[in-house]
Amino acid sequence: MSPDAVVTGLGVVSAVGKGKQAFFDALLDGRQAFGVLRRPGRQLPAGDGETVAPPFIGAEIADLHLCATMPRKGLRTASLAGRAALAALHEAWHEARLDQVRPERIGLIIGGSNVQQRELVLAQAALAGEPWFIAPAYGHTFLDSDVCGLCTEAFNIRGFAYTLGAASASGQVAVLQAVEAVRAGQADVCIALGALTDLSYWELQALSSMGAMGSARFAGEPAMACRPFDRDRDGFIFGEACGAVVVERVERGAAFERAGVQPYARCLGGAVNVDGNRHPNPSLAGECLAIRRALRRAALTAAQIDYVNPHASGSRIGDETELLALRESGLAHAWLNTTKSLTGHGLAAAGAVEVVATLLQMRSGRLHPCRNLDRPLEAGWNFVGTAAQACDVEHALTVSIGFGGVNSALCWQRL
Amino acid sequence: METQAIVDIIAGHAREVLPDLGTRSLGSADSLRELGANSIDRAEILMLTTATLGLRIPLIELAQPRNVGELAELLWERLAERGARVA
Repeated sequence: MSPDAVVTGLGVVSAVGKGKQAFFDALLDGRQAFGVLRRPGRQLPAGDGETVAPPFIGAEIADLHLCATMPRKGLRTASLAGRAALAALHEAWHEARLDQVRPERIGLIIGGSNVQQRELVLAQAALAGEPWFIAPAYGHTFLDSDVCGLCTEAFNIRGFAYTLGAASASGQVAVLQAVEAVRAGQADVCIALGALTDLSYWELQALSSMGAMGSARFAGEPAMACRPFDRDRDGFIFGEACGAVVVERVERGAAFERAGVQPYARCLGGAVNVDGNRHPNPSLAGECLAIRRALRRAALTAAQIDYVNPHASGSRIGDETELLALRESGLAHAWLNTTKSLTGHGLAAAGAVEVVATLLQMRSGRLHPCRNLDRPLEAGWNFVGTAAQACDVEHALTVSIGFGGVNSALCWQRL
Repeated sequence: METQAIVDIIAGHAREVLPDLGTRSLGSADSLRELGANSIDRAEILMLTTATLGLRIPLIELAQPRNVGELAELLWERLAERGARVA
């Protein structure tokens, strides 16, 4: 029998809270941090359309303090995505006590591609007309895999490390790959990280004009803009975040043993499939297939799922399609909430951050509220309301969807 | 510009790239490698220095100097050559 994969450590940074405790407190309280984006490189330059459209809104991390033990030399050239990864990994690493694991048996998979766009734009803009003087280190820092290098150097990881891209499903697909890696014996521990996707005004403008990103409708009321599954949604709202999930191999049926470490959950099964479609539009059949396969691999029936953490991006067609997929998959009985309504959409980070949110909820026995779900798309769903509620969740399902026809689902059992 | 001024520019950028140098004094006799600079760090310091000087030269031409003083001398010569050409 193939070994089990259990989660022994979680780390998270987000605009609503840095670290699991602050993050989870914010989720349970229904707090948000949406506003006009203020980080340099996030708004169109003056004279380029900024008067004909409202400024981009979203949620930004206010201050990203890193542990004093992080190497100062490396931080000089570390991107925001890199620093967020270090912070999330630091928290997960210490919770799982990975200093006690042989470095050669630890792997790292970072979900996300093109995660440093804003920093690249700023680096190039700072040298406008003088590319000769671009920092030589840019020759390696422009690569997403530099975030792997930064993390593996800081934590002395000696197994494998790579990035994978699956658009907004990147974080969850990284978790799935980490599960597969430990089950296959490629490592005893594999950390999956959903990278902070550092959008510049170039990506924000394109995502807005393609109709994926809101909010023209709530430009003057940013706290109202992010409304997954609500009739008045007008697209996803960006939110900076990064999540780290430590996945470990345990022989089937054996108890996990490392002093001071208490596993959160077992990943019973998961699936990723694509629609043969390059474009951003979702597929009902594709989503149903991912959910069905994940349940089958987990040897669960839909009826056994107590709670679903859906993708729920606030996309007009995406949300509709996802509810149809959940209904068709026999999941209409399960409790549902919308993590992105509080955090915003972390893009590559989202799937990992939502696994963190799901496992924290399973452990605490409390589900966080939904924001802005004033007029649900459909009646008859068990949405958590505007306040957190107690819920005994033994089995949960997480869903992540990405541009390019990516569908993924994971099944979790509380430990 | 005197070579000492160039030494000071190099030292400033070395502190930027190698924050662990702290308040340690830096001078002509110091070698960037012995200060803890790897090859990328050295390239960073050289590029920042040449950018401050407004001197576009391939970094490969700055590979020979063994310490900060020799590097400053070489940069001074290149600046002088450029000045002569411009004149």
